[in-house]
Amino acid sequence: MALLLGAGIIVKLVLILLLIFSVVSWAIILFKFFQIYRANSESDRFMDFFWKSKRFDAIASQVDRFANSPLTVLFNEGYGELKKVVEGDGTSEKSAMSTDLGGIENVSRSLRRATNSEITRLEKYLTFLATTGSTSPFIGLFGTVWGIMTAFEGIGKTGSASLAVVAPGIAEALIATAIGLVAAIPAVMAYNHFQHKIRVLINEMDSFSTEFLNIVQRNIAGK
Amino acid sequence: MSARPLKRDTGMGVSFIFSTVIHLTVFLLLALYGSHSKPLKVTETYYVDVVNLPVASPRSGSPSQKGNDSEPAPPPPKASEAPMALPAKPKAGAKVQITKPQTTPLKGKEPAAESATEFAERMAKLERQTEARQQEARMASLQEKNRNLGSGRAGMPGASGKEAGSDYMAYVQSRLKDAFQKTISHSSQKPEMTVRLFIDTEGKLARKKIDRSSGDRTFEISVLRAIDVASEHFTPPPGHKFFEGVFVFRREGILPNKP
Repeated sequence: MALLLGAGIIVKLVLILLLIFSVVSWAIILFKFFQIYRANSESDRFMDFFWKSKRFDAIASQVDRFANSPLTVLFNEGYGELKKVVEGDGTSEKSAMSTDLGGIENVSRSLRRATNSEITRLEKYLTFLATTGSTSPFIGLFGTVWGIMTAFEGIGKTGSASLAVVAPGIAEALIATAIGLVAAIPAVMAYNHFQHKIRVLINEMDSFSTEFLNIVQRNIAGK
Repeated sequence: MSARPLKRDTGMGVSFIFSTVIHLTVFLLLALYGSHSKPLKVTETYYVDVVNLPVASPRSGSPSQKGNDSEPAPPPPKASEAPMALPAKPKAGAKVQITKPQTTPLKGKEPAAESATEFAERMAKLERQTEARQQEARMASLQEKNRNLGSGRAGMPGASGKEAGSDYMAYVQSRLKDAFQKTISHSSQKPEMTVRLFIDTEGKLARKKIDRSSGDRTFEISVLRAIDVASEHFTPPPGHKFFEGVFVFRREGILPNKP
């Protein structure tokens, strides 16, 4: 506490900035953790439900149960587009399976668009974590350098260079680097972890899109 | 978007509150830990200079002493300035020798026979002799000192200290050599260049003339640069006379040549 209170104004500003970085990055870490956790768990449950169901309309009526899964969003978009194509032709849903290739292209495009929007949603705020991880140590280092400069200035004025005079100033300065690292290390670790999880989800979305289109095309071929 | 929108929780407000609470908790815990921990005691530090510790015998010297650089040699022992010890009063039965009273013991004369006036005269004579001997010793010491000072290091008699010595050629060669070491550059195997230098009475380079070219452009540029660099530090020639010198520049060094 004495170290924090005894620091100069620039060091204090640096510490406040680092504290804000840390609070925001931890808020993002918590938010992303629960968001990705829910996305993963609900995706698993949705896939179970999807493969057990026989009809798209039965799945569509239950999608709100898996609202946080990106796969649900993909299905919702694909099914919506498929329905639109069928309704546009003025035929029933069953006959939509025998629609032409242009309709399937529309569904494929809507799935791609939904995938992109889900990737954007999942990666939202992660750039702040990357920024915190890369800049916080430097901001802390700046505070340290400034603090050491001030400490040496004080030593020069007192004219004494004993350990009792030098050590407190250096300790005050070094706390900025310490807090910079405290802010940066969890941010970097969380960023790498979330990047990995999001990559897995992207692969799942690609696989689901392919499966969805395969089902639609198989039905066309069967009719 | 054709699909029915899904109901999702997107807010970060709860996370912010959690994060703030976590940071406050950590800060309070650290503050609590800091208030309970004992403050560090600042003890005075003592330093012992091991290198320059006094030695037992001053004659054995200090380990940090470096030959003749650390301290000048001790001055030669001075002649004893203490008054010469007076001779002891003649004892009874001792013979007094008038001619050499200071060295020979007094024999064969009764002390009672010597009057007080004679004794005082003898003492005054002895003192005069002692003083004369001390003055002689002082003179000898001063003469020795003068002989040592006159070894040539102090410069030529009448020199002001702002001019080079009589061997001005060697002086210029030395300056050129120093500068040439920094600028030397060549592209041929054995470049050799002869340059004639004219230095005015104030020590400024008046003119430089290439007597013989080396044919190596790089080498010649480096030589001319060395001359320019060296000429900035030339001192006036001895007697403030105009100086002309020829120098042969080679890769190995500089040789003077008579003009």
